[in-house]
Amino acid sequence: MIETIYVEEVIKNHPRTKFILNKFKKSRIILINKYGEIFNKRNQNFRIQKANPSIILAHKKDSFVLPAPEGFGIGSSKNFYFSHMYNCIYDCRYCFLQGMYSSANYVIFVNFEDFDIAIKNTIKKNINSKLTFFSGYDCDSLALENVTGFAKHILSIFRTYTQTEIEFRTKSIQKQPFLSLNPIKNVILAYSLMPELMSNSLDNKAPSISKRISVISELASKGWKIGLRFDPLIHGENWKELYKELLENIYKNISPDCLHSVSFGTLRFPKRMFKDIFKLYPNEPLFTSPLSLNNKMISYDIEIEEEMTSYCKSLSLMYINEDRIFKCSI
Amino acid sequence: MNNFKIKNNSIRWVIALKEEAQVILDHYKLKLVNEKTIYPIYKNAQETHWLIISGIGRNNAAASTAYLYAYSNASKYTSWINIGIAGAGKGNYGDLYLVDKISNYNKKKSTYPSTLPKTTLPKMHLFTSDIPISDYSTYELIDMEGSAFFDIASKLTSKEFICLMKVISDGPKNDIKEITKSKISNLIKVNLFNIIDVVSYYERLSQEEFQIIDKPKLFNEIKSKWHFSTTQSFKLETLLRRIEIFCNRKDIEKIIKNCETSNSVIHVLSSKIKNNLVNWSKF
Repeated sequence: MIETIYVEEVIKNHPRTKFILNKFKKSRIILINKYGEIFNKRNQNFRIQKANPSIILAHKKDSFVLPAPEGFGIGSSKNFYFSHMYNCIYDCRYCFLQGMYSSANYVIFVNFEDFDIAIKNTIKKNINSKLTFFSGYDCDSLALENVTGFAKHILSIFRTYTQTEIEFRTKSIQKQPFLSLNPIKNVILAYSLMPELMSNSLDNKAPSISKRISVISELASKGWKIGLRFDPLIHGENWKELYKELLENIYKNISPDCLHSVSFGTLRFPKRMFKDIFKLYPNEPLFTSPLSLNNKMISYDIEIEEEMTSYCKSLSLMYINEDRIFKCSI
Repeated sequence: MNNFKIKNNSIRWVIALKEEAQVILDHYKLKLVNEKTIYPIYKNAQETHWLIISGIGRNNAAASTAYLYAYSNASKYTSWINIGIAGAGKGNYGDLYLVDKISNYNKKKSTYPSTLPKTTLPKMHLFTSDIPISDYSTYELIDMEGSAFFDIASKLTSKEFICLMKVISDGPKNDIKEITKSKISNLIKVNLFNIIDVVSYYERLSQEEFQIIDKPKLFNEIKSKWHFSTTQSFKLETLLRRIEIFCNRKDIEKIIKNCETSNSVIHVLSSKIKNNLVNWSKF
């Protein structure tokens, strides 16, 4: 239940604003000038807000498409990302969003058409390069799809530009609009996964791993390309057995032909961000992990990272070719 | 500033008039503090609730909020409550409202208090005016202190710890001139149950935050045995927070008992973390 929805004055009559507000008939609507009045204020408590977040409907002015950080690719020569939303309905303890914003409210930008223009311009400017766009860098790309309809909207571009890939990264079990559409070969539905035991403790409010695998299996059988994102890899007692069980479970449930890519990422926080997150959640089991400062990042020691990555990679190589396995190293 | 120890469920009330405050003073058993203060200040025996009578107007509200903060040694996790009567162009006489938007003449930008307590109380937009307003048509709630209280309180704590509640006392059908002292007290009194309910949320919030930031159990004990610099103390606190989640007191005492210096305490605790294999089935 969303109790309050803040709406920027300039988009109060936007059809998409009305469409979204129509889904929250009991919420209190408060008109604001700019979303920053609510979202960017200092002196907010992310953790307390997270218990009862509001929605902010806003108009995005610029920076619709941005270059993805180095190391965030799945094989293309150039990578970009866009975010129609800031923040996520889930509350995963390792997520960088909790250290990035002072507010836990969800900002949804309603001017999707400006994203369309920016994406098309980016494609035209890079016509000779293989491009991948990532949706859901500052949010979960599909978790609020039933409210925003953004994925459905943006898909039409990638139906036209068939040489350009789009990845929707998610933990949600949202099957629409994909289940009711014919698969598009340059669209990747990428799922973040970790062993159920770890996920139960870390992926707060997110669907269980078994439910995610079930949806992956369903969408894969329909012909959609699937990405598996083991990012971050989490260390702990019996981690080898836990990851073996998870990987085997997935690979046995999904045809390798449907797998677009598999990537492994390590748990890393910039020092400042770790400090902020630790301050918010000092009693979290994740922080009992052997994390320490390595090259200005808080992470597992390099030996642990390498052991985990190579172990999971070698298990995956039993099912898929090496050219579809990537390391995420931001 | 005084040296009152900060209490866990810490509440600070800022109320313009004694008549508005009387019911609160009675319910929480607040007594006038035993010394001369710039504004009248009341507190309960446990020193968990403090209340200041600010007087009318934005200057008084701002000054008294800051004064109470300093006088009562409030913390970042103290909750701040402003309650009072208000004029209204909407709503019903005598009803209690939570405030979720505040504006005034002097500021172009509005401010937006959080209204987090789970309650069925309705919410309204508050306009803080420097002069009494008799034309109610443009506004929802009208008072003379709210914006200044919120502006100052939001510098002292995060906005989730601030609450404004208003009871409608006048409007198009209820002349402001008919307000009397006893009517004011009565307007607050009839809403006391809802006020207590909302305040109990802020008491819990404050308590929970204090528990989260509370020093690890062994921190002071260890600090008394070895000499720690400021940087080392910070490291010790962080390490103990992490270790206490998976290690009991006896085990921690055992691993540090042979340490000769603070450095070696930090070293053995760091090693404990470095070698910890998290048992995820426990969490």
